[in-house]
Amino acid sequence: MRVGIIGVGCSRFGRRDDVTIQELSYEAVKEALDDAQLTQDDIELSIVGCVGTRSYELMPAVPINEYCGFTGKGPMRVEAACATGSAAVYTAYTSIVSGVADVAIAIGVEKMTEVDTPTSLAIGGRGGNYLWEFHQYGTTFPGYYAMHASAHMAEFGTTEKQLAMVAVKAHRNAAKNPKAHFQKEITIEDALGSRYITYPLKLYDCSPISDGSAAAVMASEEKIRELGTDDVVWIESVGYGSDTSNMTNRESFVGLKASVIAAETAYKKAGIDRPVEQLDMATVHDCFTIAEIMAYEDLGFCRKGEGGKFVESGESDLGGKLPVNTFGGLKAKGHPLAATGVAMVYEVVKQLRGEAGNLQIDLKNYRALTHNVGGTGHFAFVMIFGR
Amino acid sequence: MFIESRELVMKHKIPVAKTSKYWQGLEEGKVYKTVCRNCGRAHYPPRAECLCGGEVEWVEIDEEGVIEAFTVVYAIPRGFEWSKPYTIAIARFGDIRVMGWAENVKVGDKVAIKTGKDESGIWKVYFEVV
Repeated sequence: MRVGIIGVGCSRFGRRDDVTIQELSYEAVKEALDDAQLTQDDIELSIVGCVGTRSYELMPAVPINEYCGFTGKGPMRVEAACATGSAAVYTAYTSIVSGVADVAIAIGVEKMTEVDTPTSLAIGGRGGNYLWEFHQYGTTFPGYYAMHASAHMAEFGTTEKQLAMVAVKAHRNAAKNPKAHFQKEITIEDALGSRYITYPLKLYDCSPISDGSAAAVMASEEKIRELGTDDVVWIESVGYGSDTSNMTNRESFVGLKASVIAAETAYKKAGIDRPVEQLDMATVHDCFTIAEIMAYEDLGFCRKGEGGKFVESGESDLGGKLPVNTFGGLKAKGHPLAATGVAMVYEVVKQLRGEAGNLQIDLKNYRALTHNVGGTGHFAFVMIFGR
Repeated sequence: MFIESRELVMKHKIPVAKTSKYWQGLEEGKVYKTVCRNCGRAHYPPRAECLCGGEVEWVEIDEEGVIEAFTVVYAIPRGFEWSKPYTIAIARFGDIRVMGWAENVKVGDKVAIKTGKDESGIWKVYFEVV
């Protein structure tokens, strides 16, 4: 049974002091329903992805569901840290494949700016194993990735300049995306001259604290035929991987095993063994610049240890062999946790349909990839889409 | 326009009865792992039950370690406002790795394992470069 994406929506990302979490969700839901040319009546199941905790509504699924007009249809709330959006898409996908629903909507929403930055850091720092990490050592989310960066730099000679190049690329793309949190370009010097957040990561190595929402309407192939939808992006395969909560129990710090497992699964099902040649673009999880460099390697875009060289080569730029994070990535588009995975689907669908405006890539394979990591490789989803 | 939510303060009581040997050990300057008497697997953080069902024994970590990863935290989270920027490191000690605080370390440095109480009164692991 094939599952297709028939409608996508995404709010403007950034500091959204103008809306509650429900109102923010509805921005993406409304766009996705309009895009699918459906109404709430056509949706059978809603999956609400929200990490929460930073926003005032601690059990947000039902208020969001009510405001969006889905009362009685779900909600099923999912949480997988920063991969929550993909967990929502995955849950909608499996619900359709299993026959539980023919049409489902995956909603990802996060309101992160309702608490101050030290509080946000203390919540993100709990994204491992609280008692053995944050409680004693004050781990932060940037700190977890910074530790990976220290190991990657020591083993492979990856440089702070190569990290900065990821940020420059992200900002260059986001500057052309009206929905991005940051719509300005930066230089290598800006990035290298910014203050340390957590050594070796600087301000411009880090994604911002953002509010945002995204939604995707998904349906079974049979239902799509019945609806007569002609512009469909199909989910060709989904891969999932996970790893230990304690960082000390990982196999290595120069990559994320969960990403490798998720990619192997997704590639096998979709028949992909040369991703750079077989895909037209990819969205990868670049919550920090080092995360994008590790993603290039873990997803097989280059060999382990050569991620820094891959960004230097320009192959991941718009116009390169495999454009990565064409809408600006988490780094500059913004990273409202649960919205991110669904916003990746939004980006891939817009690109594959040729609706990405001045960020449009060339289409030849009509296939693209999303890679969404939860925590520091605690969860990872890789999905392949085709049109 | 904003409305401020009512304040909610959460402080959890964490049960550590099964790992009490570890927490008491910190106050005596000792860091323990557990090792399964049946399958030989070492656990850190220590766990009182091995997944194989075997009985575990508490073994002190006292060998030299090697730093595998570290970071210096400048953007300090709530709960650590009292601290100046601090270094979190992960060091390997034979068959297990340990997280701890350190100063002036880099990947590859050899370290000794110590315990101490931080300024907020919490006992934990510290690494000292040898």
